[in-house]
Amino acid sequence: MTKNMLSASRLVFVFLLTSLALVAYAEPNCNIYKMENNMPCYEACVLATTGGGAQGSRASQEKFDKAIEQCPTLDYAYMEKSVPYLKRGDFINWKKLIDKAVELNPTLHLGYRGWCRYQFLRDYRGAIKDFERLDTLFPHDIGYSQNGDYQLTIVKALCYSAIGEKDKAIEILETQLAKKGYSPMVYDYLHLGVLKMETGNIDGSIESFTKSIALNDYLAEPYYYLGLIYKSKNLKAEYKSSMEKAKAYYLKGYKRFDPYTQPMHKVYLSDIDRELSTAQTF
Amino acid sequence: MRKICWIFQLLVVFSSCQNTPNQKSAYPDHVGDIAFDEKIDDPSFKVCTTGRIPQYYEFGKSLQYKGEKPAIDKHFEILKQNESTAESGYITIRFIVNCEGKTGRYRIEEMNNDYQPMSFDKKLVEKILTLTKELSGWIVGGNPEQPVDYYQYLTFKIEGGKLIEIMP
Repeated sequence: MTKNMLSASRLVFVFLLTSLALVAYAEPNCNIYKMENNMPCYEACVLATTGGGAQGSRASQEKFDKAIEQCPTLDYAYMEKSVPYLKRGDFINWKKLIDKAVELNPTLHLGYRGWCRYQFLRDYRGAIKDFERLDTLFPHDIGYSQNGDYQLTIVKALCYSAIGEKDKAIEILETQLAKKGYSPMVYDYLHLGVLKMETGNIDGSIESFTKSIALNDYLAEPYYYLGLIYKSKNLKAEYKSSMEKAKAYYLKGYKRFDPYTQPMHKVYLSDIDRELSTAQTF
Repeated sequence: MRKICWIFQLLVVFSSCQNTPNQKSAYPDHVGDIAFDEKIDDPSFKVCTTGRIPQYYEFGKSLQYKGEKPAIDKHFEILKQNESTAESGYITIRFIVNCEGKTGRYRIEEMNNDYQPMSFDKKLVEKILTLTKELSGWIVGGNPEQPVDYYQYLTFKIEGGKLIEIMP
């Protein structure tokens, strides 16, 4: 195989890899390095993707160090090595490592870094920077969040809403939802409903919560927020029944949940109980 | 014969010292492990687990606190009224919740908004640490028959000296 053919093959592989990786993180295809006859990186890649110690264990961290030593451009090893620091609250060390992964392979790691900045640190401005840089690299689709809950443009909208730019957030959300071929994710309309409620578009928010329920009727949250709207409209019976439904759903476990962090616009039992108590004397 | 045995014993001791992983590695057994430090840790705080202590997220239940996250937010609400300063960034306090729901071995990480180490006003850090130590609603890890210790952290996002959000 000629050098040009090898380069072309690599480009195809890299394109496929990055495309897939934007949908969900996957282990790298080590054969790319083999095809290039880059055996040190091939072996390092195989080492990094082979089991060996639980995540964050000494054996695992040392394995990634060894892989990096053998192939200093192996972004996957930097990214994987960073993960336990993120999950365990050592954000200084996480950032050093994930920055290195982004530097080596921005198309693959920018979306993930932005998502982590949003999810673990509520670093909204930092996340927006990452997503907007990714927008320039992938104008049509910047991929999905690591937990699979969101298309990242929706997360970008949530970041804008958190820094006070709610109208801009609504515009981003609605544009994404209107995109041809985009299938709404389970929480998209919930967030849109909350944002519309917060900006005084009550009819629009009811429409969004109704869509949220139609899409996924396993959530207490839209019923809770609908209850708040009924309260503002002085509709006592609807207010009470909506909060009762929210509580019943909550107790069944139909609620927003993430094992690591508290999702935005999540509702808690104490919130619902407080409203139910108010509804008794409303 | 006695001399040979003695030399053999010496060799065994020497070789076992050479192989101690803690002496060679830059890492603890697990990222984030907090070893007891007699200079700063309360000796009366005991952990029940002899082996690896799991992380809070390993139970698949997220933050385990009586009254959930709103109870924690309320406990720290006073920090939202702090006087304005120029300091912004994050203060993270990591600790262990033991099998009785008690906490100890607190460790602090401070960083600015660029994720670089920084030092906040000592009074603010002390206030956050004291309030963290006062939290008494931690739910024991594992199950009632086999309660276990776990690692937990709280990260405080500070803007202009005021508390903005608490994670996770």
